[in-house]
This record gives sequence, structure tokens and C-alpha cells, in this order.
Amino acid sequence: MSEINAPIKQPPATAKDRGSAANGMESKRPIKISSGEYHQRWRLIKDALARYGVVAGGLGVIVAIVLIFFYLLYVVYPLFISASAAPVSEYPVPEQALGNTLLLAIEEQNEVAARFTDSGQVVFFNASTGKTLLTQAVAIPEGAHITSFAQGSPVKEGAVIYGLSDGRAIIAKQQYKVTYPDNVRLITPSLKYPLGEQPLALDESGAALETIAVKVGADSTTIVAKTADKIRLINFKKEQALFSDEAALTRTDSVLDLPTAGIAEILIDKDESNLYLINNDGQLGYFDISDKSSPDLKQQLNVVAAGQKITSVTFLNGDLSLMIGDSSGLVSQWSMVRDKLNRPAMQKIRSFKVSDKAIIAINSEQRRKGFMTIDADGIVGIYHSTAEREMIKERVSDALPSTAILSPRANALLLQSAAGNMHFWQVDNKHPEVSIKSLWQKVWYESYPKPDYIWQSSSASNDFEPKYSLTPLVFGTLKAAFYAMLVAIPLALMGAIYTAYFMTPGMRVYVKPSIEIMGALPTVILGFLAGLWLAPFMEEHLTGIFALLMIVPVGVMLFAFAWQFLPKTIAENLPEGWDAALLIPVILLSGWLAFQVSVPLETYLFHGTLQDWLKAEMGIGYDQRNSLVVGVAMGFAVIPTIFSIAEDAIFSVPKHLTVGSLALGATPWQTMIRVVLLTASPGIFSAVMIGFGRAVGETMIVLMATGNTPVMDLSVFQGMRTLAANIAVEMPESEVDSTHYRILFLAALVLFMFTFVFNTLAEVIRQRLREKYSSL
Amino acid sequence: MTDQHVRTHAIDVSSVLRDQKKTGEPNETCIKVENLNLFYAEKQALHNVNMEMPKKKVTAYIGPSGCGKSTLLRCINRMNDLVDKVTIEGKVLLDDENIYDKSVNVAALRRRVGMVFQKPNPFPKSIFENVTYGLRIQGINDKRVLEETVENALRGAALWDEVKDRLNDNALGLSGGQQQRLVIARAIAIEPEVLLLDEPASALDPISTLKIEELINELKEKYTIVIVTHNMQQAARVSDYTAFMYMGELIEMGTTSELFTNPQKKQTEDYITGRYG
Repeated sequence: MSEINAPIKQPPATAKDRGSAANGMESKRPIKISSGEYHQRWRLIKDALARYGVVAGGLGVIVAIVLIFFYLLYVVYPLFISASAAPVSEYPVPEQALGNTLLLAIEEQNEVAARFTDSGQVVFFNASTGKTLLTQAVAIPEGAHITSFAQGSPVKEGAVIYGLSDGRAIIAKQQYKVTYPDNVRLITPSLKYPLGEQPLALDESGAALETIAVKVGADSTTIVAKTADKIRLINFKKEQALFSDEAALTRTDSVLDLPTAGIAEILIDKDESNLYLINNDGQLGYFDISDKSSPDLKQQLNVVAAGQKITSVTFLNGDLSLMIGDSSGLVSQWSMVRDKLNRPAMQKIRSFKVSDKAIIAINSEQRRKGFMTIDADGIVGIYHSTAEREMIKERVSDALPSTAILSPRANALLLQSAAGNMHFWQVDNKHPEVSIKSLWQKVWYESYPKPDYIWQSSSASNDFEPKYSLTPLVFGTLKAAFYAMLVAIPLALMGAIYTAYFMTPGMRVYVKPSIEIMGALPTVILGFLAGLWLAPFMEEHLTGIFALLMIVPVGVMLFAFAWQFLPKTIAENLPEGWDAALLIPVILLSGWLAFQVSVPLETYLFHGTLQDWLKAEMGIGYDQRNSLVVGVAMGFAVIPTIFSIAEDAIFSVPKHLTVGSLALGATPWQTMIRVVLLTASPGIFSAVMIGFGRAVGETMIVLMATGNTPVMDLSVFQGMRTLAANIAVEMPESEVDSTHYRILFLAALVLFMFTFVFNTLAEVIRQRLREKYSSL
Repeated sequence: MTDQHVRTHAIDVSSVLRDQKKTGEPNETCIKVENLNLFYAEKQALHNVNMEMPKKKVTAYIGPSGCGKSTLLRCINRMNDLVDKVTIEGKVLLDDENIYDKSVNVAALRRRVGMVFQKPNPFPKSIFENVTYGLRIQGINDKRVLEETVENALRGAALWDEVKDRLNDNALGLSGGQQQRLVIARAIAIEPEVLLLDEPASALDPISTLKIEELINELKEKYTIVIVTHNMQQAARVSDYTAFMYMGELIEMGTTSELFTNPQKKQTEDYITGRYG
């Protein structure tokens, strides 16, 4: 009581203490009350400020995390929305009088479309309005008419070939010139003849070309044409003269050893080395035509079920797969797969049940592995092959469609109906590559021998099939974290136990901060040490590393045994608790010994290097940047985190529990095992979890020391690629808003969710443990 | 030593010493402190203490805060060894054996000299596991023996009826008084010869305190008890002998009735009449 009353009894002292002389001079009456009130109010204000400040800070953290989460979600979300298509315009077929449409084409900007007619006319028209821009006739020689027609490739405003009734053929190519008069884009269409305007005589006898196919490359053009009795293969090779601009065409002719009857479709791949012939009975013949003078029939097989007919066939973009539509509405994808003997063979890798009616047309996208189908009911479907995903299924015209084309960017669709109308549609189909299957399950990629988990997001070529399996990345992340924890947990926890429980306070004062300072080491330094020093060192001294694991514990045990027989004076002269320091030379010596014996040991046991022995005897490959390196380097990075938290947890076990146990006659070791660890278990658990979270999210070390190979191999001698490293490696080179970009964000989201779920789970378990074991 | 005592397992592992002294006369000395000096680093906390504590009697240490009574108590089971930079000179004889001898196994000593602390310190385990802790660390895991011991110990600590239906509940769920009796049960489960109580009731409410005091009266049938207390009434109520300590020195020791009614030293009188404390 006297303490509380004191300031009120002596108001002048209080005023003086506060150092406000003026206040004390001016008004005497309110001093003691106002100073009390002022003080009281100021205290309340400070209290409120502190409270709101803390609340604001806490909420700010939550808001920031929620914002990050929603931003990731916002970027990722478009991957999972389905595609849509909407009509833009409808108009009568332009210049209907110029003949029936053989082929529709549309250029890059979706402005100009072209109609190739069966009379050799090409009508260029505005895709949205149908207004004719240009009509050009292909120079068909007099007396001949068009008997066959084929598109070389839809890609790059591809060439077309007209097969004529007199055994000759003309190759034409659409071309679109973009100019900007008055700053407005103007696209001028024109027709070019890459092999000259004169028809090429393919069949000397002058027999009509019934079916034809062409591939026009930069230096070589291959044509396959079927007449009534022969299938001819003709190759024109452009050879640049050495000292002039003139180029000479070298022609190679050969005849395929296959009956002509029933051949309905001919396809040549873009390398002009594989040729596929389809007949009406559903048979596929596959030729190797790398040597144009002697085509080699490699395989003949049925590609549709018995009783079904092939109704439509086309290459998927990249010409590695054939999409074959049959009369039952099934589209199957056939790709060249190498068998065990490394022989190429066509194999069905997946199929799509598109409809119950026959597939009348298949049209591939020009940049992706997507395709469009039209069935006999007139339903248009857009699919993605890798993702096995149906994007759009829509009736575009009331009348049956006769022909249709997807624009080069696959964002528009032009369809001609049997009723003589053109339908121009917008297609919004930005991210067809992503599905649960393509992200998480085994996918059979083109030219792969079997379905697999693969991450391979980009390549030099445009028609490459992106492989977006996140599974190897998640696997790599967990693998790296696992090996890091394998190294870190025993060292960190044992260190923590020793430091917190057995070490003398004098020594602890130095040891704990030293280990914690290790945590401040930038991981990039650890990363490059691991990549540039540790990885080569380990490769060279692998036996030594394993010898180290065996010899050091043995050395320590031997020393402990010898300790009993050492004169007591040594122990008595040691500062208390520093006896553990005696182990330092023992460890160094046995470590040195391990590396000394490693070379003779290696020679004796493995007759060469351990790596060679592993490879030869066990079939285990050795990567220089492997999990062992990552485990050590990342373990090193994680140890301070785990050590510090676990040490605190163990050290803060109340003394009265330890003392209570010791007072019952327990040895310090029993007390540690039965009471201290039990009571500290929530803290130790969160130490391990936080360490794990750190290992999962760690980027620099795995980036520099893993080799970044996204392989799914548990072997300790193989590398991996983690989610975090993958984002770091690929984010700078991915096009903003592309599927790849969004998938990288998805990887970030997965990482985020992963650590979030893991930490939440860990926290829940920790709370439970704490409830159970927290002491008093 | 009663028959009930002999039946329990712990007789098997108890020291030979006890068997020899089993039939001692009532005032036989159990613990003898000889010329004990204790230093915390440079500071001397106990000054040449000499005293004898009789077997199966309650000896209370009283004295003002910081007088060294807890320190003295902790010398009897060598808990002071755990304190950093402590030096102890002199002897503490337990059944004529110097417990500070180099050959003494401290863990075995503490098994013979049980201790209960000021603050209840049950382990964060079940009631059952708390009581059996002392047995388990000796490697006794026979379920039947453990169950029997738990019942005997809890009955001995007057806690059995309150907890017999929830032996597997966490001990931290018990009230403070129950926890303290549980700790006593844990201490007597290993059948020590001596029970050291370091202000066992200071953190408890009056009713729990009363129960502990009743318990002490029952326990002295079997054990030599040394209790440190701040509360002179408590010392008067529970102890047979009382030692008054002041500034690390033993001022006076005698039977409780004598010390409280007829103190020989002025300091003692000043203290028990409330001049300081």
C-alpha cells in the first residue's frame, strides 16, 4: 500500500521526474490528477497501439500468404478451364462456280482463307466476310484434267500437288505477304510454284495419277503417285552449284513393290524418309524411303478392327504419329516405336472413341498435338492426343460438313457445309496439353517404347511433343529431401541431444552459436561447393566415403574402449565436459585412415574403381552429381535448422522433470531417453518437420548439385530434378502465359500446397503432442 | 519393517544393507552428517554441519529462506552434484557408509534415498507409468509385479481410491495435491530407505497440505523421513525432530516438542516466535 500511495503524497516529485517544469508552474491544482490521467491514457494508447500493431502484423502475414496462394491459383486456373468455340460469321461459299472445294486453307492471322477447287482454281477470300480477294488458276496443260490432289503439309502455308490425267503433276504453294501500308496490316495472297510452273512428268507412260502425295522440303521434294498399275516414288534433290546461284534438280525414280489395288491414302513424313500407304481394307503399309532409289517395305499390318474401314487418316503435327479414323467412330494414334531389337514398328499408342458414326475427316493442329474430327453426323470435335482430352464437341453447321480446317494457331475454324455455306468460328483452346493424366500419370509419348513419366518441357523444334509430367519432379523433390534428411536428422538430433543435455554450459556457449552460424551460410556457396568440389571428390574417393562411414564409428568405439585403460590423471586434468573434444583427433585420424586405405581396398575388392564394379556387377550407374552429394550438401544446410530447434526443445525441458527422474535413481542416459526426449518430442518433431520443409523448398543446392535430370530412379548414385530447381531453371525461358509458364506456376502451387499441408499437419501433430507431453 | 513390505518385489533388488539393519531399535541413527561444508563456486553455503537423523522418524529442517536447509537435504541424495561448480567437503553417512565415497554408485544411492520436490513433478506419462518409472529404469517389466507395486504405492500415498479407475490417464490431468501424492507414490514404489521431502506442501492448498501431512505420519512407519519446511506449524505437526538452520549453519537440533517449547539458542527462539523469517 505504501508504494502505491507514495506518488500521490508527493506530487511535485512526480512532476519533476517527468521533467515538465512548465506544467508544474502553470497549474497547481490539476497536477496530480492530470499527470495520473495523462499517464493512464498514454499507457492505454501504447497498449492499444501495441495490440493493433501485432494484430495488423499477423493479419498482414496471413493476407500475404493468401495473396500468394490466390495469385498462383489465378495463373494456374486457365489450365483447367475447358475450351470453347463460337460462330463468327456464315456466308455462301465464295466463287461457287469455280468448282468444288478440295482443300481449305487459312493463314496465320485468320484474315485470308483459300479454297482449292477441283478445277484447278484457287480462290483467296476474306475469312470473316467471304469476300473474294483473288482468284488464281493453276496452269493445267490443255487436254489434261485433275485426277488427284494432295496437301504436302498444312504447316507453313504448305504446298499442294495436283495429279493430272496425263501422268504429270503440278506443285503449287500459297504465299501470304504481310505489308503495313498506312500502318494497317495488309495481307496479300499469291500462288507460287516451288518446282516450276511447268508440270512434272511423273509417269512417262502418261497414265492418270489416281492418288498422289508430296512433301516439299528445303532441298528435296518427294512425290509418291499411284497409277492404275504402279506406285511410283520420285524424288527431286536440289543441288546448289558450287560457284553460282543456279541450282540443279536431280531426279530419282523408283517403284514400290506393292499392289496398287485399294490404295486410298498415301502419306510421306516431313523427313521424307518414311512412307505410309493405307488401303480400303484397313491395312497400313510402312516403307522406309531413306534411300529413295530402293524403298524398303518394313511392315504391313491391320490398323482397324475387323469389319471396320479406315475412313480418314492424317499425320499428327510432327509427322511421327498417324491419326487413323475408322467407320466405327474410333480415332487411333499409331506411332513409330522401336522394339527390343531396336527395329522400328508401328504401334497403337492410344485411341479416342469420338463418335458412334464414321469419322469422315481428321485435321491436325499445326503447332500442337491436337486434332479436329468430323463424324458422319456432322459433329466437330477437337481433341488433344497427349493429354487424351476432349476439348470441344460441337455441331457447327446444320447441314453435313464437307470439309473443314483449323487455323495455324488453332484459334479459328473454317468449315464448308454440304449446303454450300462457309462457317467461320472462333476457337478458344489455349491449354489443351494439361490433364490429370498428362500431369500425374504415365503417358505414352510419340516414339517412346512404353508409357512413362517424363518431364521435358521444350525443345528446339516446333512440332515437339511437350512432356509435362510433374511426377518425376515431385519424386525428385522428395528424393532430395529424403537423402538430405537421412544425413541431417541423425547428426542434428544427436548433436542437439548432446549439446543440450550432456555438454557443460561452458562448452555449449560456443558450440550452439557456431552451428547456428552454419545456417547463415548462403546456400549458393554450399551449392557450388557441392557441385564443383564435393561431387568430383566423391566420384574419385567413393570407396573412401564408404570406408569413412565404417572406420570412423569403429575408431570412436576403439577410443572409448581404450579410454578406460588410460591413466586417470588424463581425465582429471581435462576441464570438465571437454572430454568429448578428445574425439576430434580420433575422428580426423580415422577419416584420414579411411581415405588412405580406400585405394588398396578398392583395388583388392573391386579390381578397379567402385563405380565400374557397380556398373558391371550390379548394373548401377553412377552420376557425378547424385543424391549422395545432394544429401550431404543439403543435409549440411538443414542441420543448423533442425539442430537449433531441437536443441532448444531439449534444453527447455523443465529441470524439475530431469531432477525428478535422477532422484528416482535413473542414470542420465535413462533420464534422457525416458523423460527428456519424451517431453521434448513436440519440439523435436517440429524441428524435423521444419527441416524437411526447408529441404523440400531448397533451390540453389539442388540446382547446382543434382545435375537436374528429371529421372525417376531411387538409386543414391543418380541425380534428380526438384520442383523448386525446375522452376528456377525454366521460368526465365518460358513464354509468359504459355502452357509451360502456367505449368511452372502449377509446380509452384504444388510446392506451396505441399509445404502448406505438410506444415499444417506437422503443427496439428505437434499441438497434440504438446497437449500430451507438455509439462506443467 | 512390516510384512507387507517384505512381500513386494523390491526386496529382491534392495540393498543388503537394509536387511542387516531391518530389526534396528527405534532410535538407531540412519543418516549421519559429519563436518559437512558445501561451496557454490566461492560462496560457502553450508558451514561445518554435524547432525544425526534417527531411523523411521521424521526430521524437519526449518529456517529462513536461503539458510541452506534445502542444500543440506540435497546432500543426502547427492542432488547437489548436478549443480555446476559445487564443492562438498565432509561426510554424509547412510547406514555408516559414506555416500560421498568415490566408489558409491550415485544412481543406486538415489534409489535408496527417494526425494519429493517442492513443485509436483510428475512425468508427462500415465499415472501407471509414473509410478512404475523407478522400477522400469531398473529393468523390471513384469506386468504382475508392476501392477502390484502401483497399487501398493498408490495406497501408500493415499491416492489409490482417487485414481484406480484412470491409471492410464495422463498424470498431468491430476490436481496439484494429487500430483504431489503421485510423486510420493512414485518415490515409495522403489522402496527407498529414506524419503527426502523438500517443502512438499508449499505449492498446495490447505486441504491438500493436510492430506500430505497425514500421509507423512503414515509413511514414517516404514521410512526415515527428512522434510524441509518453511512452515513452523507444519514442522511441529509432522516431525519428531527438528533442526533449525541459519546462514548455512545448524544452530540447534532436538526433538520437536523440545525445540519449539524450550529452544536452547536465542536465534532459534527469535525465529520460532516470528522475529524474522
